[in-house]
Amino acid sequence: MIRCIDVRKVYRQGNNEITALDGVSLDIAKGEFAVIMGPSGSGKSTLLHLIGGLDRPTSGELLVDQRLVGQMADDQVTLFRRTRIGFIFQFFNLLPTLSALENVALPFVLDGRSKEEAEQRAKMLLDKVGLENRKDHLPEEMSGGEIQRIAVARALAFDPPILLADEPTGNLDSRTGESILSLLHQINREAGCTIVMVTHSQEAAGYGGRTIFFRDGKVEKESI
Amino acid sequence: MLRLLRTLSWRHVQRHRLRTLLTFLGITLGVGVIVAIAVVNRSLTGSFQSTIEKIAGKAVLQVSNGESGIIESALPVIRDTPGVQDAAAAVEGFLPVRGAEKERLYVYGVDLLTDTAIRDHKFVGAKSDFDQALDFISQPDSIALTESFSRRLNLPLGTKIILTTSRGKQDYTVRALLREEGMAKVFGGNLALMDLPVAQQALGKEGKLDIVDLTVEEGQKIEAVKERLTQRLQGSAEVERPTKRGEQIELLLTSFRVGLFFVSLIALFVGFFLIYNTVSVSVIQRKREIGTLRCLGMKRGELLRLIVVEALVLALIGSLAGSVFGWLLAQLALVAVGETVGNLFSLVDLGPGIFTLRELGLSLASGIAVAVLAALHPALEAIRVSPLENARQTAWSPSFRGKKSWATRLGLFCLVASPLIIFLPSPLHGPVQQFSVGVIGMLVFLLGLAFLCPLIINNGVRWFWHWALRLPGSSWVEARLASDSLRRNPVRSGITVATLVISLAAIFTIAAFVNSVRGSLLAWVDQMVTADLIVSSGARTAGPRNVPLKEDPLSGLKAIPGVKIVDLYRLIRSSYQGQPIVIESFSARESAKVRTLPMASGDGARALREMGEGRGVIISESFQSRFGKSVNDTIELTTPSGRIAFRILAVYVDYSSDVGSVLIDRALYKRYWRDELVDAFDLWLDAGADQQAVIANIKEQYGEPYQLFISTHGELRKAVVHIMEQSFVVNYAVEIVAVVVAIFSVINTLLASILDRTREIGVLRAIGATQAQVRRIVVLEAGWMGVLGGVLGLFAGTIMSYHHVVYNTKVLTGWTFQFYYPYDVAVLSVVASVILCVIAGYGPSKQAAATPIVAAIGYE
Repeated sequence: MIRCIDVRKVYRQGNNEITALDGVSLDIAKGEFAVIMGPSGSGKSTLLHLIGGLDRPTSGELLVDQRLVGQMADDQVTLFRRTRIGFIFQFFNLLPTLSALENVALPFVLDGRSKEEAEQRAKMLLDKVGLENRKDHLPEEMSGGEIQRIAVARALAFDPPILLADEPTGNLDSRTGESILSLLHQINREAGCTIVMVTHSQEAAGYGGRTIFFRDGKVEKESI
Repeated sequence: MLRLLRTLSWRHVQRHRLRTLLTFLGITLGVGVIVAIAVVNRSLTGSFQSTIEKIAGKAVLQVSNGESGIIESALPVIRDTPGVQDAAAAVEGFLPVRGAEKERLYVYGVDLLTDTAIRDHKFVGAKSDFDQALDFISQPDSIALTESFSRRLNLPLGTKIILTTSRGKQDYTVRALLREEGMAKVFGGNLALMDLPVAQQALGKEGKLDIVDLTVEEGQKIEAVKERLTQRLQGSAEVERPTKRGEQIELLLTSFRVGLFFVSLIALFVGFFLIYNTVSVSVIQRKREIGTLRCLGMKRGELLRLIVVEALVLALIGSLAGSVFGWLLAQLALVAVGETVGNLFSLVDLGPGIFTLRELGLSLASGIAVAVLAALHPALEAIRVSPLENARQTAWSPSFRGKKSWATRLGLFCLVASPLIIFLPSPLHGPVQQFSVGVIGMLVFLLGLAFLCPLIINNGVRWFWHWALRLPGSSWVEARLASDSLRRNPVRSGITVATLVISLAAIFTIAAFVNSVRGSLLAWVDQMVTADLIVSSGARTAGPRNVPLKEDPLSGLKAIPGVKIVDLYRLIRSSYQGQPIVIESFSARESAKVRTLPMASGDGARALREMGEGRGVIISESFQSRFGKSVNDTIELTTPSGRIAFRILAVYVDYSSDVGSVLIDRALYKRYWRDELVDAFDLWLDAGADQQAVIANIKEQYGEPYQLFISTHGELRKAVVHIMEQSFVVNYAVEIVAVVVAIFSVINTLLASILDRTREIGVLRAIGATQAQVRRIVVLEAGWMGVLGGVLGLFAGTIMSYHHVVYNTKVLTGWTFQFYYPYDVAVLSVVASVILCVIAGYGPSKQAAATPIVAAIGYE
């Protein structure tokens, strides 16, 4: 599902070059729940951003769902991201002025669906994460766990084959974190969705099927 | 502090060049307009004074009587007055030069043998000035030109120059050239010296003098001599120091100058909001930096000083640039103003704008005061936030507590105070003072509305996105996010909307005023000028450019087939109670049947009949309001025949001058003013007469010698509108500045808004919003601001313009204008507001769409 071949990502800061990824090659199969771990600055989030088409590799090939995301035009990669990839962030990143329902409906609306259709599908997704009764609440009126569930529901909008989660429990207490991880696990198992999750937490890594360790922009080791 | 400025502030400036440039331009534009108008005002008064001083030479007193003149026989009386040492008489006037379009010579007729006691005339290449004078006088067609005029028009000694005089075209021979010193420098060298009798004939002032310049004997007190002269002249002329004469002309321009000041005040007001906006944005952008500084131990006071000093430095540079820009703007404005003043009041010798330390001080004071005031609030708000909160780079904005906010309370207070200021009796007297109170009242109203903008946005914008659903090409979420963004920071959005409101209100007020003046003026022209043809020389309308003619063509004009009635119209500047006024005359006996007079009070037909019988005069409403005189009162006017009392028969509407007019029958005028000149021949034709044939006939007989303008009613209307439009050129320039400043403000706010929502934009992009969708959201936000600013600006402009047209103008000028609502401008201003905002939003929208997603979502 995801294939990285000698992927490099170099950032330029003034006259300095910072190598975030240094020739990473790896494969993540369809339906896999891969966990990426490593110290800060090891390049794990950078890889996630490249897979999601949020950024482009400096060199190397990156095949996601059989598409070379690094070579796609901005609008193409945006549409690809909208429908084929779901994102879950550490800081939830819901829009503060929109209700839970509106936040979940957002990807449908961005896709040009009617408001009615968008809301109907958003309701189903909220039901799926168990928050149908909170649909009219604003993010500020909900707990961290609820907000992250809403974010998961939003990420599932188009039943994407790939779900990318960047420290999804980093801002939650351990019990709430566990419930989110269980939800992701369930999605992976039931929908066959490929999940790539970046985390610092050993407990979180336990939910994945395979753990890839990063250090200094390179894959250090893997464990199953 | 200096080190902090150098390191923190300077780096910030380098990094945010566009924003710094916008603030800088805002200050420069605002200050520029103020300086330009100050320079124009000063140059205007300065040039009158300087011209009068140059012409006055050594004179310490002047005997004059406006354009009414003095009878020549009064000269010996003046000369023989104890204490008078030298007395030099002169006549003056402007005459067009044939073959050189637009060239007018200021003709000064003096007795060259006696005039040297007052003025030094330096002739080029003369053995002695006295010899030159004798040669000159001995030949009656002599004219002396300045060296520069002679050079420019290639008129060396011995060549002929043809002038359009009151008797038609006349040839003169250039017999002397004046060195460009002293008096010869006035009017850019467009000066011609003639012997007194020759000039009297050219100007149609035989037997009359315009001015007698005097020096007093040593040891004599000037005031005592003045007193003696006044008594001896028995009201037939006024005795003043030369500077006083300049002041009289300045008085003529009072309304015009006050109007210009009013316009510059608007520019300052708009500039204030832009500066406030940009400084607020600067504080928002440096949130993390401010937080870090606070964490590192920077005290609140120090932080406050840093922000204010930054604003000060920028204001200083902006003000200096504004001074230069203002001076340049003044050079352009002076051309337009010189034209207007020349058309309406008096031809003026406007040199390059006067820029002194006073103007520099004004520019620095206004720029710095506004910038510091504008910076103070965001700076105070910034230092209130805790270091912890500062360190989070989530957007900060000035707090807003809805109805309880100080802005809302102040806004409501201003809205209540405004009508009280305007309508409660003012302790201040005088038209300028009362006008100022009216302007302050209007500005307080505008300020009130501006302060209420955050509340209006907070409560009103939530409905906007529902309307947007119906807009083609935008989805509900784009509309919703755009309106949410406005509401999220009502104070900042409010400042921008307020800037738009103020700009638009100012523009609309000026537009509605111009529209009302145009409408009222045309209605007045239609009522006042019923003649089929108006024949004049030198210019289409009576005024400083017009060459008054003798009555010679009258009999010929009457004899032209198709001409039914010919009436003679005359307009001169005079004075009443030491204040300038205008005397107008025509033969009511001749034209009462065909004339109508727009009346303010009294029966027009009866008043005209009584005026024709010589039983009194009709005064204008400006005269009534300035001097408190009304029907049946008596006014005493200074005429060349002495002081004469006239009964007021009625009050009429007269827009030809705001200093006050007195309308008098020509027979009476001729008797007391001893003036037979005519500014315009008004012709009424027989029913069915061929107008074009009459025009051709007049042209054939008189066109060439008299350089006539023959205007139909329609042409006169056009000429009047042209002169009026020209007098508003400076106002239009300020309108442009207001629009530019408002656009800057919108761009600034949107840049800040994007900064505020960097993360949100990043998230939208991450979950699948295309760049085009992000662009639409930002442009839509700009559009909302345009709608709000447009609608509120129109509301404010409508109220302000009504007040300005109906009340304030009446207070300042005494004129009653009808309020003509400019519907086209109203629609256009709202549409333009939206379109300009959308255009202004395009740049920031591109910036938002290009936001790197990874950096944006890590924006915490």
